[in-house]
Amino acid sequence: MNAAGASLLSALGLCLVSALAGATAPRRVRPLLAGLGTACAGAAAAAAGVAALAGQSWSAWLPGVLPLAGARLALDPLGGMFVAVTGAVAVCAAVYGIGYAKHGVDGRVTQATLPLFLGAMLLVPVAASVSTLLVAWELMAVTSLLLVLAEHARRPAVAEAGLWYAVMTHLGFAAIVAGMAGFAAGAAGESFEQLRAATLSPAVRDAVFVATLAGFASKAGIVPLHVWLARAHPEAPSPVSALMSAAMVNMGVYGIVRVGLDLLRGGPSWWWLVVLAMGALSALFGILQAAVASDLKRLLGYSTTENMGLVLIGVGAAGFFASCGDKELAGLALVAALLHVVNHAGFKTLLFLAAGSVLRATGTRDLDALGGLRGRMPYTTALFAVGALAASALPPGNGFVSEWLLLQSLIHALPTSGVAGAVTMPPAVGVIALSAGLAIATFVKAFGVGFLARARTPAAGRAAESPPTMICGMALAAACCVALALAPAAVLPALSHLVAVLLPGHEAVGGVVTLRLADVQGTMSPLLIAAALAVAAALLLGSVRLVARRARRPARLWDCGAGPMTPRMEYTATSFAEPLQRVFDNVLAPESDLAVTPTKESAYLVESIHYRARIPDRIERRLYDPVLAAAASIGRGATRLANGSIHRYLAYGFYALTGVLLVLAVVW
Amino acid sequence: MISLLRKMRKTGRVAEPAPEPAAGDTVPAAAELGGSVQIRHIDAGSCNGCEVEIASAFGPVYDAERYGARLVASPRHADALLVTGPVTRNMEVALRRTHEAVPEPRLVIALGDCARDCGVFAGAYGVAGAVKDVLPVDAEVPGCPPKPEAIVEALRGLTGR
Repeated sequence: MNAAGASLLSALGLCLVSALAGATAPRRVRPLLAGLGTACAGAAAAAAGVAALAGQSWSAWLPGVLPLAGARLALDPLGGMFVAVTGAVAVCAAVYGIGYAKHGVDGRVTQATLPLFLGAMLLVPVAASVSTLLVAWELMAVTSLLLVLAEHARRPAVAEAGLWYAVMTHLGFAAIVAGMAGFAAGAAGESFEQLRAATLSPAVRDAVFVATLAGFASKAGIVPLHVWLARAHPEAPSPVSALMSAAMVNMGVYGIVRVGLDLLRGGPSWWWLVVLAMGALSALFGILQAAVASDLKRLLGYSTTENMGLVLIGVGAAGFFASCGDKELAGLALVAALLHVVNHAGFKTLLFLAAGSVLRATGTRDLDALGGLRGRMPYTTALFAVGALAASALPPGNGFVSEWLLLQSLIHALPTSGVAGAVTMPPAVGVIALSAGLAIATFVKAFGVGFLARARTPAAGRAAESPPTMICGMALAAACCVALALAPAAVLPALSHLVAVLLPGHEAVGGVVTLRLADVQGTMSPLLIAAALAVAAALLLGSVRLVARRARRPARLWDCGAGPMTPRMEYTATSFAEPLQRVFDNVLAPESDLAVTPTKESAYLVESIHYRARIPDRIERRLYDPVLAAAASIGRGATRLANGSIHRYLAYGFYALTGVLLVLAVVW
Repeated sequence: MISLLRKMRKTGRVAEPAPEPAAGDTVPAAAELGGSVQIRHIDAGSCNGCEVEIASAFGPVYDAERYGARLVASPRHADALLVTGPVTRNMEVALRRTHEAVPEPRLVIALGDCARDCGVFAGAYGVAGAVKDVLPVDAEVPGCPPKPEAIVEALRGLTGR
């Protein structure tokens, strides 16, 4: 067994040991033991993933583990990348979780489930047969559901979020089961080698792809299957939110790439145009909802939908270029998408952990009730700022590098990809540009309103900095973000190599300090951009210092000569987003009701005014609510069938049995 | 839009020709401003007669802006305060704070008889005093209300143009 296999197995073993520690250790040391174990498991998994990316491959068949087929595991570069990302996210979240657990999530179930969740997420990308994949997938869904429900006793919204998540994830699972079972039925067996060798009719291939795409997209939080994400991610404890939002959603992307590009070996261009369209829709819708959200974790959840949308634009473009025969651009688009997966995992871990730190300190996620945290929580504020910069896709953040690569691949599509490409690629470029602009507004809002200015509520004014373990977890994630921003060349060769294996071709991106694209004109140097920005800032500050000869004079904040100013006068998240909400009024369809209660004595004297404004998820309102209402009315109607009479139930049994017998007698 | 343009074309230029600058009336402290004076107007208790005249001084006919004087919306942007009216008790603190908010070098212009020596309101119960009792005054414009020509001339004394 090589290093990759050994560290993967030790990671899985450590997950089990930490789950055992979480279930049995006394409450005082439980978070420490489980957290350290999980962090070690994450580190081992990251090592295994890196080894796999470096070219080591490992596979195993464990016949006794699962009934009938046994478990089949294989670590290849594609799976290795997702294992490495998951492991790295888990290290940050687990270290952070040691300090966070005192915030009411140190129960046995939660502490034992978290390592199991990590183990399940590690198994998904290394599963090498249909049954293993499905078992790992379901294990991942169930453990994450348990973790989402960790705080159900405290907030009623958790139960509702859990219900949405359970239903959506199982509908997605059903779609994946249908697709993969159909695939395996047409192949010689269920292992991935046999699936790769299978020759299916085009109709079956289409059905397999569409079914698995629906299932995997629901896990990735892609519109219109995203409704669970914006509910479940905010309600989960923050380390779990980070794991779900930075690692679990990636499994959806993994599934689409694995099935579409690897097992099915690409397909007709319409498959990939569908993927691209879903990605574009998610990117726009997600960031629009994030821009008007005032719940910090809900905002981050919608931002996950946006970023997964961007990734799917890249994946869709890669598949589309491959189907057009343009392997070079396909490689570039896929490298960009995978790099965005890595970058998104980095900054989303950081942002969710920082949001959890704020939640722990103030007890609220409502941006309109926060503010003034800069002085009281300096480390959390600085770390959130790093994450916000990365998420806004501006240099020198890491999100910029992958979005730049993605834009390069789309912009250069025109000459080669024919009419379909000429029609689809320019709008896709526009979508990426618009979503990047809205992302800036979103994260300026999240950081400016949430952390700067003055505290809007006493709870925010009493906030205290988080314990060192939590800061350490966030700092690890921030260090990854900075490293990815300054030296993307550390991961790009590995990703280019993995893509060159997946879509046979040569490596799409090279260079150390300056990134050079192999097949299209384009170079960019994140390090030099960062250095130029630093020099420009230093020059500006220095020249201001030089020009300003007059001595500085402290003065009162200008309050129009009146004062004192109160926090009620500050911009809130809602008021900051109001112009955007007005511009996108037709898309967002905000709702507001005004109830004026007059006094008893006279209708002209007002006793109280209630104003309530909310921006519901429009897709949920239009697509899901009618289905739910129909299901509820069918359920109510069905109660008439079951009225409690035992005679009637016996009659049902009798008629059902005779009916089946009659059908059999006629048909057989 | 079209009607506005038509109106502009029909009206033409209404500004009066610039008179020769009056010699010897310049404020030495204003020399550092280099001919561009940003002005914040404060009503410290005026009857609004002076405001009407300020409006016409900055209107199209007298056009004080062509001499480098400009009205701004915040004392943070201003070089000079243009104070009208006697300083009432309610405005005294606000006037001091506004002066405090102006970056240095800062000038104060007392505009109108009330601002110079309380005018007809001298000794009234609600009046704290003239502007010079509250702030150091650099230039004064007499008149009740002062004519726009006088206002423009005083401002030209600051800008030196």
